[in-house]
Amino acid sequence: MPNNKNTYPELDHQKITSNQNGLVTLWRLLSGYHGYYVLSAVMLAVSAASRTGMYLFLGYFVDQIIGQGKFGTELLQAAATFMGLIMLQALSGFLSNKLAAQTAESSTRRLRDILFDHIQRLSFAYHSEVKTGDLLERASSDVDTIRRFIADQAVGVARIVVIFIINFTAIFLLNQRLALISIIIVPVILVISIFFFRKLSKAYEAYQEQEAVLSTNLQENLSGVRVVKAFARQSYEIKKFDENNYEKYLRGKRLNLMHALFWPISDTICAAQMIASNFLAATMVIDGVITLGNFMTFSGLLGWLIWPIRNLGRLIVDTSRALVSLNRVVQILRVPEEPLFEGSYLPASGTVHGDISFDHVTFEYEKGHPVLEDVSFDVKAGQVIALLGSTGSGKTSLVNLLPRFYDITSGSIRLDGVDLREYPRSFLRSQIGIVEQEPFLFSCSIRDNITYGVTRPVTQEEIEAAAREAAIHDVILSFKDGYDTLVGERGVTLSGGQKQRVAIARTLLLNPRILIMDDSTSSVDMETEVQIREALQRLMKDRTTFIIAHRIQSIMSADLILVFDEGKIVQSGQHEDLIDQPGIYRSIFEIQTRIESALQEEIDSVHLL
Amino acid sequence: MSTYYDENELDDNVRFNGNVIKRLFETLAPHKKTMIGSMIAIILVSLLDAYFTLINKRIIDEGIIAGDKTALVRLFTLYGAIVLIQAVAVFFFIYLIGLQGEKVRYDLRKQLFNHLQQLSLAYFSKTPLGWIMSRVTSDTEKMADLLTWGLIDSTYALVNIITASVFMLSINWQLALIVIASLPVMLFVAFKFRTRIYYHYRQSRKANSKMTANLNENITGVRVVKALRREDRNLENFKVLSTDMYRSSYRAAYLSALFQPTIQTISALSLALVMWRGGLSVQNQAITIGGLQAFISYIMMILWPVQDLARVYADMQNAVASSERVFSLIDTQPGIRDREQTLPFTSLSGDIEFDNVSFHYKEDEPVIKHLSFHVNHGETVALVGPTGGGKTTIVNLLCRFYEPTEGTIRIGGTDYLNFSLQNIQSRIGVVLQTPHLFSGTIRENIRYGKLDATDEEIEAAAKLAGAHNFIVNFEHGYDQNVGEGGNLLSVGQKQLISIARAILANPDIFVMDEATSSVDTLTEALIQQGMERLMEGRTSFIIAHRLSTIKHADKILVIRDGQIAEQGNHQSLMRLHGHYYRLYTQQFRHELESQLDPYQQVSEGFEES
Repeated sequence: MPNNKNTYPELDHQKITSNQNGLVTLWRLLSGYHGYYVLSAVMLAVSAASRTGMYLFLGYFVDQIIGQGKFGTELLQAAATFMGLIMLQALSGFLSNKLAAQTAESSTRRLRDILFDHIQRLSFAYHSEVKTGDLLERASSDVDTIRRFIADQAVGVARIVVIFIINFTAIFLLNQRLALISIIIVPVILVISIFFFRKLSKAYEAYQEQEAVLSTNLQENLSGVRVVKAFARQSYEIKKFDENNYEKYLRGKRLNLMHALFWPISDTICAAQMIASNFLAATMVIDGVITLGNFMTFSGLLGWLIWPIRNLGRLIVDTSRALVSLNRVVQILRVPEEPLFEGSYLPASGTVHGDISFDHVTFEYEKGHPVLEDVSFDVKAGQVIALLGSTGSGKTSLVNLLPRFYDITSGSIRLDGVDLREYPRSFLRSQIGIVEQEPFLFSCSIRDNITYGVTRPVTQEEIEAAAREAAIHDVILSFKDGYDTLVGERGVTLSGGQKQRVAIARTLLLNPRILIMDDSTSSVDMETEVQIREALQRLMKDRTTFIIAHRIQSIMSADLILVFDEGKIVQSGQHEDLIDQPGIYRSIFEIQTRIESALQEEIDSVHLL
Repeated sequence: MSTYYDENELDDNVRFNGNVIKRLFETLAPHKKTMIGSMIAIILVSLLDAYFTLINKRIIDEGIIAGDKTALVRLFTLYGAIVLIQAVAVFFFIYLIGLQGEKVRYDLRKQLFNHLQQLSLAYFSKTPLGWIMSRVTSDTEKMADLLTWGLIDSTYALVNIITASVFMLSINWQLALIVIASLPVMLFVAFKFRTRIYYHYRQSRKANSKMTANLNENITGVRVVKALRREDRNLENFKVLSTDMYRSSYRAAYLSALFQPTIQTISALSLALVMWRGGLSVQNQAITIGGLQAFISYIMMILWPVQDLARVYADMQNAVASSERVFSLIDTQPGIRDREQTLPFTSLSGDIEFDNVSFHYKEDEPVIKHLSFHVNHGETVALVGPTGGGKTTIVNLLCRFYEPTEGTIRIGGTDYLNFSLQNIQSRIGVVLQTPHLFSGTIRENIRYGKLDATDEEIEAAAKLAGAHNFIVNFEHGYDQNVGEGGNLLSVGQKQLISIARAILANPDIFVMDEATSSVDTLTEALIQQGMERLMEGRTSFIIAHRLSTIKHADKILVIRDGQIAEQGNHQSLMRLHGHYYRLYTQQFRHELESQLDPYQQVSEGFEES
């Protein structure tokens, strides 16, 4: 029965990725289960041999038992031997399949875990480049293709080859001429089969492609149902779908015709060989070259020699497909992981203080295209730094450097006087809290989302206290299941403002020394906006805080304001300094202050009319 | 393509419903000819398969044992002739049933799609898109499979078992009874096995979709995973899911491995009995050696049809469940339909009147309460108010996506229920907040507004909408591909194209849901212009967020809790100092503040100063 434990033989990455040959990699993927797999192959051979043995025994039975008129205990023994051979065949066949399944299921389970872990440990740079859909496809359907190859197709090839060798040997020992004549057709049928399955595979792909087209058509129609109805375009849509639908029908028809031709034609070719060989064998019995028993053995074995070859073509095509999938998976594994624990410095107190200095920091995603250029500034622990600038000016890139989501290209960042690169990423991230504009919540309960970042056990009181501080406690209680309410598709859909407050509670529990936050509260009403602002104020207390600022209020009290333009700091200082100098900051501030007077004008103008 | 699963689909307790099965088979009515043709062919194939064993018997008895070479030639010629006949029959059954399969799939998809076009918006807002998708894609496949291969395989199996039984009875009825007695046992065991295997298979599919969902979430939320250092714990969580997957998948594989050997073992018992009793019968010459050989062949071959029957049985459970869901979709009546008598197609210009209109989705939860207002022809109405207040519902009622549960909506003095849906919806132009485009080119998307529009008309519409300039800047101009759902374009561009599309449709009434998401200032201005062009001379309903739109409206309705809280024009409402005043001042601040982010304006202003 299956292995219910959560453990399995460990498999080193290096082993999977180091060899370029797909089959070698595949074999290494089975490390720890090689014994099972080899035993499965042995059992396969036992099963094939016992079937061959059964036909051999059939010949003996006809010649020596029935033929010699031994109808007493010999007959009983013979019947028992028959039963024994079939049971041996059944048992070994079962063991072979079971062991192959065990190998395939265990090794793919391990592969899935390895992939999951590897993907989550890949760098930010990788994740921002790769499409989620592509990763998912590789981690699910490609892995499944590999699993099927290990469980079915590789075993299938082995089965056909082993059966062929054993049966051919048996026939060869029976009569050499007969044996050689009987396999004349084998290369022909093999070539036809490979040719056909290649063609079929292409036709099948075309069919699948059309299926995808049809699905997209359907999906767009359904998601755009309001547009379809608004323009009353139902009949147009019906016509469009029908065209795609009909194309799929045509491709299916073609695929079907290929099957309808291949099977009877290959049937006929195989049958011709059967007839020729059997006829020859039959005349040989009459001529006294072989016995009747020999004929019956031969006739039985012959079928197993020829018919399976037809499927070999399919398996060979499948093998190349499995190797493609394997390669797609290995490609992911070859990308180096982000070393979370690399770095030697850990402060004696266990936490950082929070002094940060940027010294001529330059950072580029792509060589020669700096997104931050020569950035220098100093921050004391507990201070608030506001980052101001248009989209793409470098604000987000700058805060991404602090938890070492990315590493700088030149210059240095020091935290408490120590170069950031000397801190292990893992430690650094435990010291930094992030509240995003549209925070990502996981589809688990609200409680689990709030405690998502902490490793220590947390009491309900602590969770509630954090939720209260984040001004989300009452909202949570208004749900039927309170803190156990599930978030996401299966549970409640939280609004942007609610999500943000859950993220604030999450960060409060984490109690980081450094805070990064996005102060945008674009899509919430005024009351919520006030609540969020207050919650953020509580969160910022006593922490070094970086604010990606969108409004003047959060900037005015900042200890340091950095104004970015095209990756450079163009202005820096405090509110009082900056409004005295001409520049972007003053323009923004003027607009802001103009708002109130403009509004007043508006209101007055209405009253004047 | 992604596959959609939902819990219902993976229901474990499928019950057979006579009506559904009847209806399922009625789907075949248009395909009687191919059905009968393929049935005749498969019955022939099955009969001949059983007959081959009989010829083999005669080859041994009449040819080899009798030492008659001419008989041998005659029998092998017969064998060859039958092979050819069978090959032709094989071609026909594969070709006909495959064709029928494609036709049934085509018909079912077409029927479903056409039906979906008739359903009202209410259906789509309460039914998940994925659910509908899998009805059209995977359920139709399962139904077609049962109606074709399921039918063919079970026919083959039944005919084969019956023919083999008859032939065996004709050779030696005592021995035949031994084999026939074992059949029910084999069938019972096979059915049990198949049912269990399917159960575990379904479990593994469930586990698989959970696992994939988890991986998906971990990739989309990778930023948070890294920031909160959740890697180890998330891997532990994933391992629980991958272990579940492993268990159910392994159990299915284990039972599959055990399945055939078990059936084989049962057959081994009957084979041993036949060998023993048969051996004795050879002694009394009640059976020939050829006859005994025939028995051995029949017993070994009968394993296959037994397994086929079990498989079809299990598939049938699945297909019946699929049919039930598909039929339930087909039976869904559109909530909004034309009245029996509709007025001839007419222009919808004229005053619009809501007269005591109420609407609810669910009883006791009114969305719109006794709403009355009057709009003169050519006026622009701005609907403002908090989210969830009922603005969108009012617009949906006007477009007759829903109908009032109480009260009357009149267009040009006529109750709009008297117009046909086609008439109303083709005369009302709609621009949605999140514009939906279809894959294809820009030209095709604009043409959606008027299918027979010339290229000149399309360009003219694009120019009016202010979209022409950015369109011609694309590499392929109007033939630029917009991507799936238009996602290769920005939100602003999509909006401009959807305005062009609405202009081309030249509607009598114009409805627009203004976007809240920010677009850059230039696009914003273009959209504004486009909208104004559209509103000229048309009665327009705007769900408005922008101050300029609101201020220029002839009539402003402040909608709260499904009622009109305030109505009038800008000046009169400002003077009230009520809801509108508060909304307006809040929006005023917001709009000016948001200019902080789209930076260009600011920096340009700075350079000037």
